[in-house]
Amino acid sequence: MTANTGRTIYKYTDFRVDDSSGTLRSIPINSLSVVGITWDEQDMTQWQDAVKNALPTFPDAPIEISGAFDTSAAATAGTISGSHTVLYNLAGATTPLSLGVFIGIRHTWESGEPVFGITSTAANGYWCSRYTVDVANATYSARFVLYPGSASPAWGTTAIT
Amino acid sequence: MAGRTQFKYSRLYLNNINVSCYAQSFGPLVWEFGEIDATAPMCDEAKGYFPDIASVTPTVVNGIMDNSAASLFTALPDAGVSHTFTAAIGSRAAPVQGDPVFCGRFQRSSSSHGDSGGLTLFNINFDQWDSDYIIKYNKPWGVLLSPNTFYTSPNVNTSTGVDDYGAATALGGYMIYHVLTVDGTATLKVQDAATNVDGSFADLSGATTGLTDWLTATNYGIVALGQTATVRRYLRYQIVWGTATYFRVVLSFVRRTSLQH
Repeated sequence: MTANTGRTIYKYTDFRVDDSSGTLRSIPINSLSVVGITWDEQDMTQWQDAVKNALPTFPDAPIEISGAFDTSAAATAGTISGSHTVLYNLAGATTPLSLGVFIGIRHTWESGEPVFGITSTAANGYWCSRYTVDVANATYSARFVLYPGSASPAWGTTAIT
Repeated sequence: MAGRTQFKYSRLYLNNINVSCYAQSFGPLVWEFGEIDATAPMCDEAKGYFPDIASVTPTVVNGIMDNSAASLFTALPDAGVSHTFTAAIGSRAAPVQGDPVFCGRFQRSSSSHGDSGGLTLFNINFDQWDSDYIIKYNKPWGVLLSPNTFYTSPNVNTSTGVDDYGAATALGGYMIYHVLTVDGTATLKVQDAATNVDGSFADLSGATTGLTDWLTATNYGIVALGQTATVRRYLRYQIVWGTATYFRVVLSFVRRTSLQH
């Protein structure tokens, strides 16, 4: 299939992150935080200004996900792996991880369609700062932040690996 | 069976008590690291962080007020102490060997009474890891090696084991156990193997309680290995019988898989 253009819906989004051995995996999600770069603003407004004004300070790109607690075996990215299978070894480990939010346009993601994230290197990528399991609802939540000095993740149309 | 599950397939053990029938829920099970901003603003492209010291806690056990002899309220009434904790999460069935567990030794900050829909509750609120039982690991997630199973002498484990990581590691780990009933002495230990066949298993050095008189000793605990201990790929429980003729135990192992764990 070729890449589509236009609008889409959530069910074609695939979240992928490296497991502890550095292999990219798709894990089940039912919620996803704001995807993209966020900028804090520094208020520069002076009394004499006609309008409030600000300058951007520094970009940040945390990602938070949640979904079903799942112990399915690891599978090739594009096919769902168990969330616990992938995440339970990641929290706190500082080997940078590849992470990608693949947004399929009315079908499973194809090259040419939007993807946000970063392919890891020794000094670039995400790490997992929190893995929490809500046993009562059989769900998990996890948070990822960038490694210090990492390149910024970005929007693109080619696969994160 | 792997896959998704429901809460009703979980089991909860505190010290030497199976509290599964005396609680309505527990958790969330938290393993998190503070984010220390390490950004160099004039150089870096984006904010970056280092992990702070880990925070691990099971948060709360929402218990049912019950004054039966073996109940949570009767057996563990007091706050200001710590409990050895294992939550085993079964996959659409009661937990079995290989299922995930969340473990640790946590301070109990308070107990609280209340009601929910008319039912009288007895809740246990947990804080951080107990300072008197610090081990050199922060990872709480491991695998169940012996589910709540009743063994009789002279039963020797000849079964295959658990492949929890897909490879051997050389970063240590710890075993955690809850002896629920026993009538004498025995040794509880973890064995590992490179090949998942009975004859390949040998004692995992250090992962043992030693011959213990369980009628007088504390019936729950953690045994931590050195941080560079080699743990081969497959794991299983083993019992060496002394005077005991029966032994019901929950045993798990947490394999360290990162230097940060």
